[in-house]
Amino acid sequence: MLASGRHQDIFVDSVYTTMAVCVAVIGKDNSPLYIGGIGNDTSTDNELSRQWLVHTALDALEERLTTTNNNTSGSNSNTTRTDMRDLYLGLLYSTDTHKIYGYVTNTRIKLVLVTSSTSPSGSNIRDAEVRTALRRLHALYADAICNPFHLPGDQITSQKFDKQVKNLMLNNV
Amino acid sequence: MATQPSDYTEFPPEIILKPLALIGLSGLDAVNNAVHKEIWDAFSNNRRPDRASVRFKLLNNTFEFPVVKPKRNSYEWYIPKGILKKNWIQKRVALIPAVIVIFYDMEWNDPQWNEKIIECASKVQSIRAAVEGHATRVAVVVLQNGQSPPPSEYMLGAERAQALCAACEIQSKSLFVLPHSDHLMGYIIRLENAFYDIAQNYYHHETKNIKQHRDHLNKTTHQYLFVRHQFKLGYLNELKQDLSTAHKHYMHAYTNLLETRIVDTNMHEVRTVAGYINYKLCKLLFALNLPRDAIAQLKSHIERYRSRVGSTELLFEHYAWIARQYSAFGELFDEAIRAGLPAIQSQHPGFYYQHAAQFTVKRRQAMRSVCSEALQYPPSPDPLEGIVEFYGQRPWRPGRLSADPHDPQKEQAAVLALQYNERMFNHSLMIIGFLGCAISQFKTFHSPRMRKQLVVEMANEYFYSADYGKALTLLTHMLWDYRKEKWWFLASHVLNRALQCAYLSAKIQDYIQLSVEALSNYIQVPNKDKDRIYRNIISVLNLNIPAPEPDLPVSSHSRALEAWQVAIEKEPFTIAVDMSNISSFLEVKPKFRQQKYRMDQLVEVEIYVRLIYETVLESVQAYITVSSPTETIEIPITEDGNNLISLVGKKVKRFLCQFKPNPKDNNSDLHIKNVSFVLDSDKKRKIIMNFKIGENKSDSAIHPELLHFILSPKTDYEFDCIVPLPVTTITSRECKLSIAISNACPALQGEWFPTTFTITNNETSPLYDVKIALSLLSSPDNPNPESVTELSLKEGQPQAQPIKIVVGNLGHLSTHACTFYLKTNRTVTTTVQMKVSYYIDLPEISKLECVKDFTTKITVIKPFEVSTNFVAMNFKPITKCFVEDPFIVTPQIKILSPWDLLILNTELELVDCFKHLDDDKETSCINNLVVAEKNVASDAMCIQAKYKPKDNPTRVGLYNITWKRRSNTDGHCVMSSTALSGVPIDVCPIAIKVNYPEVVELQTSVSLKCTLFGQSNTPIRLSLTVEGTDAYMFSGYKKLSVTIPPKDKLELCYNIHPLVVGNTTPPRLKATVIGDSSIQEVVKEMFDKIFPQNIFVMPKYNK
Repeated sequence: MLASGRHQDIFVDSVYTTMAVCVAVIGKDNSPLYIGGIGNDTSTDNELSRQWLVHTALDALEERLTTTNNNTSGSNSNTTRTDMRDLYLGLLYSTDTHKIYGYVTNTRIKLVLVTSSTSPSGSNIRDAEVRTALRRLHALYADAICNPFHLPGDQITSQKFDKQVKNLMLNNV
Repeated sequence: MATQPSDYTEFPPEIILKPLALIGLSGLDAVNNAVHKEIWDAFSNNRRPDRASVRFKLLNNTFEFPVVKPKRNSYEWYIPKGILKKNWIQKRVALIPAVIVIFYDMEWNDPQWNEKIIECASKVQSIRAAVEGHATRVAVVVLQNGQSPPPSEYMLGAERAQALCAACEIQSKSLFVLPHSDHLMGYIIRLENAFYDIAQNYYHHETKNIKQHRDHLNKTTHQYLFVRHQFKLGYLNELKQDLSTAHKHYMHAYTNLLETRIVDTNMHEVRTVAGYINYKLCKLLFALNLPRDAIAQLKSHIERYRSRVGSTELLFEHYAWIARQYSAFGELFDEAIRAGLPAIQSQHPGFYYQHAAQFTVKRRQAMRSVCSEALQYPPSPDPLEGIVEFYGQRPWRPGRLSADPHDPQKEQAAVLALQYNERMFNHSLMIIGFLGCAISQFKTFHSPRMRKQLVVEMANEYFYSADYGKALTLLTHMLWDYRKEKWWFLASHVLNRALQCAYLSAKIQDYIQLSVEALSNYIQVPNKDKDRIYRNIISVLNLNIPAPEPDLPVSSHSRALEAWQVAIEKEPFTIAVDMSNISSFLEVKPKFRQQKYRMDQLVEVEIYVRLIYETVLESVQAYITVSSPTETIEIPITEDGNNLISLVGKKVKRFLCQFKPNPKDNNSDLHIKNVSFVLDSDKKRKIIMNFKIGENKSDSAIHPELLHFILSPKTDYEFDCIVPLPVTTITSRECKLSIAISNACPALQGEWFPTTFTITNNETSPLYDVKIALSLLSSPDNPNPESVTELSLKEGQPQAQPIKIVVGNLGHLSTHACTFYLKTNRTVTTTVQMKVSYYIDLPEISKLECVKDFTTKITVIKPFEVSTNFVAMNFKPITKCFVEDPFIVTPQIKILSPWDLLILNTELELVDCFKHLDDDKETSCINNLVVAEKNVASDAMCIQAKYKPKDNPTRVGLYNITWKRRSNTDGHCVMSSTALSGVPIDVCPIAIKVNYPEVVELQTSVSLKCTLFGQSNTPIRLSLTVEGTDAYMFSGYKKLSVTIPPKDKLELCYNIHPLVVGNTTPPRLKATVIGDSSIQEVVKEMFDKIFPQNIFVMPKYNK
């Protein structure tokens, strides 16, 4: 089965108010820490295409990171500029059916947000909304790993985090 | 680069071909005539891109031009039967030249000129007749041998050329002369460009013709013609190399096509033509360096036609068409990149190949849903047979325009034929081809993960096409990457598919390895059925055929079973699985209990084994491999003395291995290299699971301090918290030796300083083969001590370091004493190492070598310090001396040694320019002198300078002091040398000697005799005055001039008469040099120095 061939039919039941269909937290060694998707369909195929999508987004993310690094160190290595570096990387790439946005924390934790270009709420999303959502996700992530029982580098299994992220995806609050 | 797979959707070659103006060459006999062949080769070979965009065609006499269709005056009753005729482009590119060039051999001064001109004209005429109706241009090239004609014939050439033009009815600019001598290539290129100009003119003319038709057309019946004409205009402009105009016309053609009414019957034709026009558009946009516009064109093209599906029975054709649109675009994009277009990670040909693959998958899905009943090709007549005149038309109903099928039966048979063909089509091969193209692109454009995903998809296609071996190879490579990045879900997906492949191809090694990994906690297996996988492993171990993997195609079962029946009882019988790179159901952490072991200790390795999978593994053999620099040993892991261990699921077991260290491995590291578990059956087969233990693989993911928060079962030995320790150091055993050192520290610089050390054996048993090695240790403040320090066992005889002392055997509690001497010239602390090595027999280990290092520190100080002064003969300090003028050196020896010293003798070794005043060396004033700390011994020696050297001497000489400790009565003497600082030497042309009494009585006349010696080779004239004082009366010349003869002397005598008592200054002579004023200064200095400053005058007592 070709995964992307099914991109139209995954996340079918994403509600119209949904802003994102999938959110992922990826560690600094590029291992997935959390992948959450909207939709009742928890079938393997659905999960698989979601993971492929997020995993391949890492290519664009890494490319973006290396180029920004080169820019800052190359031309004017202004320290304030590096400090104030925008963590939000913007649209990484888009397929026929999805748009993928990226965000990198200072500790190289990567946050990925996927919107559906087929649903009206997903396709009309503004950049600022995605930025806000990813900042909120960053905050949620920070809260989650503050848990002393969480091991850095382990997958995030917190139910509270999962619920909050799902809310974030649904309501766009 | 992978080549594109082909099928019926592939573009015809004439669409893909780059249009080039066609130029026919006639009259060249390239076979028989060498000159003609050369000319033809120059035209046709090595056509580099910088040459004119033309194509040459050699026309022979039998060449036939296409018949011209009768010109249509009215389109009123004309209904076009299709959009684009298949043969139109072919005619433009191969059959109708824009220019025909007639080559003719002729010299202007040819004797048979008249016959020649007639023959040439008739040739031109026959060509004209052949192209009748076409607007093809005609040009003539006269081939000449190129030898320049005599000047008288210049005019002849011009005249005859004109005559030729007239005879052939051509314009003079269509006549060319080609001399075939030198520089042929240059002429050819100029001719070529001229032909190209004519061709452009021709194509321009043709476009005008087509444009004229336009007024006759109406939109209702001639919509097809709007498309056709615009396409032709586009193509002709392309031939003319006017790319932007060509693009404009193609765009018109494209929009006109969009306006046609589409029904099921013309669907295929419209989209086929649309695909061709779109291809042309994109190609031109890339050529015009507008890649963004090309991408936008493709996107809108796909968007427009995506919904125009056509009949559902032939749905697969729709997807096949879309796939081809994408792949063709990918190819154009790729070509553009190779021509220099930059591309980026988010926009490169790979995406289009990927889309092509995706739509080919859809095509297959559509085939599966609509072609299931097409089991047989329809009986003859073959509906697909027949020639169609137009692109995209159906052979069974060519040129039909009405929407309803005119012959339903024929239509049905045709659909069945197409469906049957589609069923037979190898979709996987096509998908693999597209994926191959995409993979190489994604690799080029820094998208390793995208590439991986596509490789997995490719492997799936191989799986579908039953090429399990290839699929397995691809998957196992990809599995590695997903595992490394810990994308376990994706890794599981890949692993399960790989396991299916391994099963279907009955590859035991891969099958076992993948199965072992599938039992890992991280891997998800279908139906969560790990028991099945475990049973399969055990089956293979027992030479039984494992159960098939789930979700396998039914058709593959029997073949797999056959393969297994062959494979199961064959090699490989020993299956080694490298566990260190995979996650599995067994986890191992080996650990040396200590970071260091002494040689007499047993080395202990703790091995913690956790079996994650819920089962019991009975009778497992296990061993660890430990390596040292000298050897690698395997140590079995035992449980209650039994070589077979058992492991229980979800439990952690601890095993302890003990072994004695090898005496040869003293002071080296032991590494745990490997932990292996052998699953064995009574049959021949066994599975060895090797855990290679990395060197510096400090797993950063383990944070023992954080792990304490994690709830872990008590029986687990807190497995997660255990940090493996795979390295330990073997050190020598602790020696029970003691040492006592006696010496009289501090040592003095330069002396042979004795030290006695005594070793006592405190071991419980006797030692044998005891050896001691003495050496100096360097320290930060005393680097390279061996360069300045000597060691010896005998006083006064230096020995090479280290000094080896063979002691032999040493009984229990017995001692061995030894004395060594140290002599050093550096006043720092010197460290001496005494390395004692010996063998001992212990109850555990016999003949154990033991080593013990002792060190002692010896402070070295200077015995004394020497300073020196220079004084004149009257003991006045001086800062310089004069040649032949004696003075006194007074060295002072300040004693620093805490020990009393005996100074035996001193001696001043002078440098060349000084000499002792006394010829025979008298003994020093300090000899056999005993001195104590802080004493100062003063010495004095009278010397004088022999001559003035070039440079002032830096030192007067070496002052050698021979001394020894006072306590050391019979030992060696030490001679210490000190350099005495130098004194500047000056030359005075005269020497003066004054004889006068030190003490005189009041009122008593004494004589003061002054002798002046001439030192130089010239006489010196002086003006002398006497400077009298109040304390004396004197008699003699007060003022006089004297001449001092060279190498001779002059005496002056005065009588002086003291008037007062006490210290008095007698009258002094002052000299002024007459003549040479350069020596004035020294002479004055000399007089000042020599004349007495004071004479003591005693009162006169009357008795």
